[in-house]
Amino acid sequence: MSLTPTFAIEVRSIAMDDVDIELRNVTYQMFVRAGHAPTAETIATAIGVPADDVLQGWARLHDAHALVLHADGREIRMANPFSAVPTAYRVHAADRWWYANCAWDALGICAALHCDGTIETSCADCGDSITVAVRDERPDDASLLFHCLVPANQWWDDIVFT
Amino acid sequence: MNLFRSEEHITRWLAGRDRGQSIGIAKLSELAHAWWGDRVSPTWQPHTREQNQEILARLELTDAFWQLA
Repeated sequence: MSLTPTFAIEVRSIAMDDVDIELRNVTYQMFVRAGHAPTAETIATAIGVPADDVLQGWARLHDAHALVLHADGREIRMANPFSAVPTAYRVHAADRWWYANCAWDALGICAALHCDGTIETSCADCGDSITVAVRDERPDDASLLFHCLVPANQWWDDIVFT
Repeated sequence: MNLFRSEEHITRWLAGRDRGQSIGIAKLSELAHAWWGDRVSPTWQPHTREQNQEILARLELTDAFWQLA
């Protein structure tokens, strides 16, 4: 696989070429297969390119908001809805435990994997534990509320805070 | 983007900060399935801003708070 950019698709104001999209899709496939974020070296070995090429591609995908890297630019922080680091949102789905970036992403893991699941978290105010079973895309406790603090046009100003 | 037991819990957690917007978890699940459903497809293609805005609109999330950048 060559990582030479070819043809571009515009997402927001940042172009994502078809080779970067392929890299992004391989990254997600390997994340889901392994149950954790792949390293650049793992991806490089799988697709037969230098790890630096993967890192450069990931940097472009980060800029295009297709994934989120750690500050050092060498490891994945988020492959939304999946989190590569522990969070307050744990999801059991497809016979594995995953971490989600937020409540929206916790339901998003069931959506992305096309399966039922169970979300374990706590009320952000009182700390009471919350367990939500998701069956056929429906949560079993309809009384819970989701609160979004940051307006949509500012989500990517600081996606980790959002 | 957190879950809460009730609006009272949201108000207490905000501790005087400006309120964002809250929706029930059933609607959130609909939103999540529309937004993330294709995310691990091996043939995934990026959503345009307009596609994502349309997902929000289908769930009646249409006011200024939900206008994407």
